[in-house]
Amino acid sequence: MAIVISKRIEYDPKIEKAVSNIVKLLNHDYKISKKSIALLLLQSDESIMEMVKKREGKVYKLIAEIVEKTCNSFDKPLNYVIAMNRQRVADDIAGKAVTYSRKKSSMTVSDILERITINPITGIPIFVLVLYYGLYKFVGGFGAGTLVDYLEGQVFDVYINPVVNSIVTTFIPWKPLQELLALDYGVITLGIRYAIAIILPIVGTFFLVFSVIEDSGYLPRLALLIDKVFKGIGLNGRAVIPLTLGFGCDTMATIVSRTLETRRERIISTLLLALAIPCSAQLGVIMALMSHIPVALVVWIVFIFLVFLLVGYLASKVLPGNKPSFYMELPPLRFPKVTNVLTKTYTRMRWYFFEVVPFFIAASVVIWFGNITGLFQNIINVLAPIMHLLGLPDEAAKAFVFGFFRRDYGAAGLYDLHKAGLLSGNQVLVASVTLTLFIPCIAQASVMVKERGIKTALAIMAFIFPFAFFTGFVLNSLLNLLGVSF
Amino acid sequence: MNCRKNQSILEKVKNYFSNKEVMARGKRKENKLKKIILVGSPNVGKSVLFNILTGAYVTVSNYPGTTVEISEGKGKIFGRSIEVIDTPGMYSLLPITEEEKVAREILLSEIPDVVLHVIDAKNLKRMLSLTLQLIEAGLPLILVVNIMDEARKMGMEIDTQILEEELGIPVVATSAAFGEGIGVLKEKIAEYIFSRNIDADKKVG
Repeated sequence: MAIVISKRIEYDPKIEKAVSNIVKLLNHDYKISKKSIALLLLQSDESIMEMVKKREGKVYKLIAEIVEKTCNSFDKPLNYVIAMNRQRVADDIAGKAVTYSRKKSSMTVSDILERITINPITGIPIFVLVLYYGLYKFVGGFGAGTLVDYLEGQVFDVYINPVVNSIVTTFIPWKPLQELLALDYGVITLGIRYAIAIILPIVGTFFLVFSVIEDSGYLPRLALLIDKVFKGIGLNGRAVIPLTLGFGCDTMATIVSRTLETRRERIISTLLLALAIPCSAQLGVIMALMSHIPVALVVWIVFIFLVFLLVGYLASKVLPGNKPSFYMELPPLRFPKVTNVLTKTYTRMRWYFFEVVPFFIAASVVIWFGNITGLFQNIINVLAPIMHLLGLPDEAAKAFVFGFFRRDYGAAGLYDLHKAGLLSGNQVLVASVTLTLFIPCIAQASVMVKERGIKTALAIMAFIFPFAFFTGFVLNSLLNLLGVSF
Repeated sequence: MNCRKNQSILEKVKNYFSNKEVMARGKRKENKLKKIILVGSPNVGKSVLFNILTGAYVTVSNYPGTTVEISEGKGKIFGRSIEVIDTPGMYSLLPITEEEKVAREILLSEIPDVVLHVIDAKNLKRMLSLTLQLIEAGLPLILVVNIMDEARKMGMEIDTQILEEELGIPVVATSAAFGEGIGVLKEKIAEYIFSRNIDADKKVG
């Protein structure tokens, strides 16, 4: 194309010979140069091999012969030989163009921070501090506490709901229609209230914290820090990113698990995201639920973490495949740019909100429909025995039915029950654990199908559903056995 | 992600025709939408550049692998419309992960007017290997040496003149996050895609 006198790499003579022979055999257009195509063929690039086979037809056999002959004449893999050739040229050019004007003398603050975040002795306490202040204090305390209390208790309970209820009951004579819009399960009084008063402040505060953390460059360091733990569950440090992103939104995170190298890792992380990683909204509500019983919160964290490790470990034993190697760019720690943090938080909140609102409204309508037809009651009746096994009241089934629509919706349902004084400390704990593990929301499930295929997605869900209830049952029995009550 | 979804049918049709035009080589029309593709390793600032060139917003983070899908957007350079494609990070033309495959697929299916290879100045030596591969592939390439601010802080000095001579392609030094070098970059892009005689000039020079 445009460039004529650009740099040309001299490869090993045997490789050059093979390349020119292959180029002669390539008769079709490949958008990139035939030399590149030939080199990729020599490096056994499967998709290129497939493409050339299709386009060149019979000639491909001759090409394959050249590739094999060349491969056999080297004792190292060809991609290694080619990469080394290239790197030599790159080193040479860089050597000419780059000069170091001064040596770094003293350690700067960021140098020290970069060190202590990846050293396990200092790194783990730092991680705990980040979790405590970032998640527990800011998202749990400020977002799920202060903001939710204000929006729920003041704005909705005092102003919006009574006004909506009185308008609806005054002007709409038909009871079912009244219930569609207002009262217990109304679109406005339940759907919109959940979305704006409970979910939005939690998700917003989480995204804010997460944006700061991700722009600071802390995540890859965390990846390095817990690479060893992750190896045990068949993942490597790279998986930290999709998994931590899961605490924001599991749906988003399932898409990001694409960045993992092997199919095996992608399946394990998809499973763990669906099972043991609560999304920010769910997490926030759960933290709010248990804020006055901190011991139960600790039990919840430990229990979920153990399930995470156990299932990851088992999955890595069951699924065949190689242990992944760890390689990741370690970007420098940077001071996050305020504008980028705010734009990003805003974009994510907007994305989340527009995704959530239609779902919440639809869920309200479905629940309303289920309610007036008695279907909802039937499902609750079916689930009631399971609830009893877990030591939960019948009403808790509602939260699980809500959870089918969205994780956070289920947690918000639990929040309502708790506020009404229907759940004891133990019940809050068992319900929270079960609901956290319980089935992924509709959006996540559809992304799972899209990314991992229908079979894998169904297999994962078929595992999660009974497993969640079984775990809840085990926890409840343990609590009873030990005579613990929160 | 978002930009792609928002692409209207009209634009798709337009793109289709502009592709057709390119295929009918030599019959390029002056008003065809010029296509720019951003490639490079993860976490070198491709998305920042995408946002600058299009005025759109895709998520930018300080960790590798934020972009897993292709973003397409439109922008203007000196009043002329351009189309910009942002790709997931790739280390080499020989892909290992799925996102690298996605990035390479773009290079195998699109006909760009210019490819911007964005690299992290601090890791110039290692990243030049992909530059060499892209040159080898015959792509119309500009090398963008980004994150110059951090390289300077490390005491690194990079002579873009020497790089241009050695590689035989235009090279621009930038700190995209701070807007540094963007003017020069836009000029080089414009020179590359809007001046009709550029091919001829290069051949003579």
